[in-house]
Amino acid sequence: MSPFLSVVTSVVLWVGAALLVAAAAIVGPRRLAGLRGELGSRLWSVRRPAAGLTAVLLVSAVGRSALQTVSELFGLRLTGLIYAVEGDFVAWIQATFVTPELTVYFSGIYVYGYVFLLSFPFVAYLALPDATTLKRLIVAYALNYSIGLVIYTVVYAHGPRNLTPDMVTSLLFTYNPDFMALTSEVNEAANVFPSLHTSLSVTVATFAVLTRGEYPRWTPVALWLSTSVVLATMYLGIHWLTDVVGGAALALGSVYLSYRIVDRAVDDEIAGDRAVDLGDGA
Amino acid sequence: MNGHVSRREALAGIGLGAVSAGCLGRTRNIAGRNVASQLTLQIDAAPADRDPNAIRVARHLAENLRAVGIDARINTLNRTDLWRKVLINREFDVYVGQFLESNPFDPDAMYGFTHSRFVAEAGRQNPFGFTDVNGVDEQLERQRRTETDRPAVVADLQRSLCELQPFTVVAFPDSLAAVREERFEGWTDRRPLSAAALLSLDRAGATTETDGDDGSGGNATADAGTADGDTLRLVTTDAQITENWNPIAAEYRREGTFTALLYDRLALVDGEEVVPWLASDWERVDGETVAVDLREARWHDGEPVTAEDVAFTYEFLRDTSMGSLEAPVPTPRFRGRSSVVRSATAVGDRTVELGVGDVNDAVALRALQVPILPEHVWADRTDVATIAGFEFDAETTEAVVSTNENPVGSGPIRFVEATAEESVVFERNDDHFLARADSTDGGDGPAAGVPERFRGKPAFDRLRIEVSPSDIAAVAAVGDGLADATVSNLGPDAVPRIGREADARLVAGRAGGFYHVGYNVRRAPLSNPRFRAVLASLLDKETLVDEAFSGYAEPAASPLAAASEWVPEDLRWDDRETDPVYPFVGESGSVDVERARDRLRDAGYRFDDEGRLLSQ
Repeated sequence: MSPFLSVVTSVVLWVGAALLVAAAAIVGPRRLAGLRGELGSRLWSVRRPAAGLTAVLLVSAVGRSALQTVSELFGLRLTGLIYAVEGDFVAWIQATFVTPELTVYFSGIYVYGYVFLLSFPFVAYLALPDATTLKRLIVAYALNYSIGLVIYTVVYAHGPRNLTPDMVTSLLFTYNPDFMALTSEVNEAANVFPSLHTSLSVTVATFAVLTRGEYPRWTPVALWLSTSVVLATMYLGIHWLTDVVGGAALALGSVYLSYRIVDRAVDDEIAGDRAVDLGDGA
Repeated sequence: MNGHVSRREALAGIGLGAVSAGCLGRTRNIAGRNVASQLTLQIDAAPADRDPNAIRVARHLAENLRAVGIDARINTLNRTDLWRKVLINREFDVYVGQFLESNPFDPDAMYGFTHSRFVAEAGRQNPFGFTDVNGVDEQLERQRRTETDRPAVVADLQRSLCELQPFTVVAFPDSLAAVREERFEGWTDRRPLSAAALLSLDRAGATTETDGDDGSGGNATADAGTADGDTLRLVTTDAQITENWNPIAAEYRREGTFTALLYDRLALVDGEEVVPWLASDWERVDGETVAVDLREARWHDGEPVTAEDVAFTYEFLRDTSMGSLEAPVPTPRFRGRSSVVRSATAVGDRTVELGVGDVNDAVALRALQVPILPEHVWADRTDVATIAGFEFDAETTEAVVSTNENPVGSGPIRFVEATAEESVVFERNDDHFLARADSTDGGDGPAAGVPERFRGKPAFDRLRIEVSPSDIAAVAAVGDGLADATVSNLGPDAVPRIGREADARLVAGRAGGFYHVGYNVRRAPLSNPRFRAVLASLLDKETLVDEAFSGYAEPAASPLAAASEWVPEDLRWDDRETDPVYPFVGESGSVDVERARDRLRDAGYRFDDEGRLLSQ
């Protein structure tokens, strides 16, 4: 089997198993049972944000190489500037903290932990009777991706492992070259600012904090995992601190916008329903 | 280059106060002067994933430049963008790259690289904008003509280049490859990655799995995962061959290994040996002409290769617009070679006469090493390049910018299919003279004059090149049995890995094209040879060889160092610890800042009180 397929299979199996366990422990059997008759209608109610997210992902999949070309030709080349601003912070992290155990931990977090962190909220918020949180989550994901794609096109920069290989080891790929087969399918080496790993993880963590009343057990898990993912991006030499800061800002902005957008849409819907009612009445 | 905001506006503000005070003249004299600011230099290099060695050289230089007070910034670009920037647009300060010709090359390779007649052209010819009319130009011309004095002239040429430093040679890297030998053998060859070496590979006899159907059918897509015994599978970190097959596109070709397999040249040079290739024979008929006899050959589309095609090719390389534009548009590759041939005339179907003037035989031979192009394909590409009907640049022809999809060559491999940035598949050209030749027919037959090791070749039915995200992943692919060999540069993290992969082996061939730091001498202060000399002395080549190349390179002063017979005693590295011309200022990698600053002061440069080098 090619490295790409074998990594994908292993990610699907492990994350699938983790989702089952987490669903049982965090969502709980009662809510899962309540989902049985409701699944169809709940999915139907999030069709619009889901269609939006799918559209963004499709555009990203189809248009990315064209946008990448635009970025190569006209993008702002910021690698040197980022390095001038933050210097050897990532090199310092590696020089100070790297141990074989931590490398295994952060490599696992970067691939498996991240996929789990992004997929579990779908299960958790789908199990809530009110679909608003799920809508917000999907909208926030879509915003992260689409804004990220725009910034990727404007900014052309390589990560620490590509600029300073003498000081920053590409730990993920040195110890798991197979992971590279996966990440190079999804990522372009010249797209480091902002860190989408950071922005999506912080998005999930923010939602976890905001919904701590519903899922008190998920909040610490999400905070732990997302902090680990954020640290992993730098520990593994993939991202600059600047990318992480940018990613966190993108996440907070996306969550804020997702509240605005979803709440307005709900208001519109209520108004629209009323209008239909009136129409029927007349 | 000077990124600092002028303080003129601020001074103008102060000036208003001064005007009212009534000393207008003096204020104008102060405010009218530009304020010197720190010198900024941008160093362009490919990122570590694409070129693990170059970025380390760039880092070393940037660190030392910063230490002496120059604001050096590294700008990472993918190879194509880097070369577009440096070779085509010439918008750079300093770049780190490889000389894009595989060794050994004749000293005449420096003609295209440094002759001032090419300063205004876009391409590999003289990217520095270097002009030394009475020294280098003269020596370049003389080494073309003289036979007996050539060693002395070439020695002087190297001394001039070493003294003036349009570029600083860093080191000649070994060509390294991770290979597995269960399917193809013969990797021990001197240059594991050259076109000639790939052609001379043999099928590993005992372990070959021959499957029933042959690989010459057009649609049997080889899968990288299956054990396809007929396919030679290579991995590279260079995606360029998956998206562009134009043999004259400067920004897409490195050494041009695969385009050299697609497009036959008249003569092939393999190491020290000159092999009659598309030409079966040639001779100097009078002092100024070379008569070339062609083999019987066909283009990949079935048309015969004629003397007209060869004559067309030489004309075309000199001017890709074939006279249709105001000014000629010469090719961005092979410029030095095409400048040798002044006229090319077809005499009959299979004989061409090349007017080469009074050049010596070595230079005439070099002129035979250009890809021969089919006139019926390239004659349609002589117009100005347009995007959606709009002309962008009247000095660019379609030929130069074409991706050359479905390339029609006459070489031993044929294009089959490609997925951009992922893979490309070629197949054996059974109609080629190598394939038609029998290893038993001695010196005659379709491949007369071709050495034994090329007869009946290539040994593969298909050649599949897969793009790998980094050198480490490429080595891992060979270790996992997904590929037979790596064909791109391996960095210091990837080389030790080969030893840990059970079935992979390291093949270290003789030197490839040298790594160098190139300067844009059109821009001050890089225009000053004294300044460049100081930059050259900030490079500790010995340390770089150990750290950036993990010892798999030879430090050098002269661009011809790989061909030691040309290098005079005073420029040889031998057992030296530092450069013979501009020794490193410092010791084992760390620069002696005060000494370096003294050099710069001696050359006329100034520093501010914080030790920053001032740009003017």
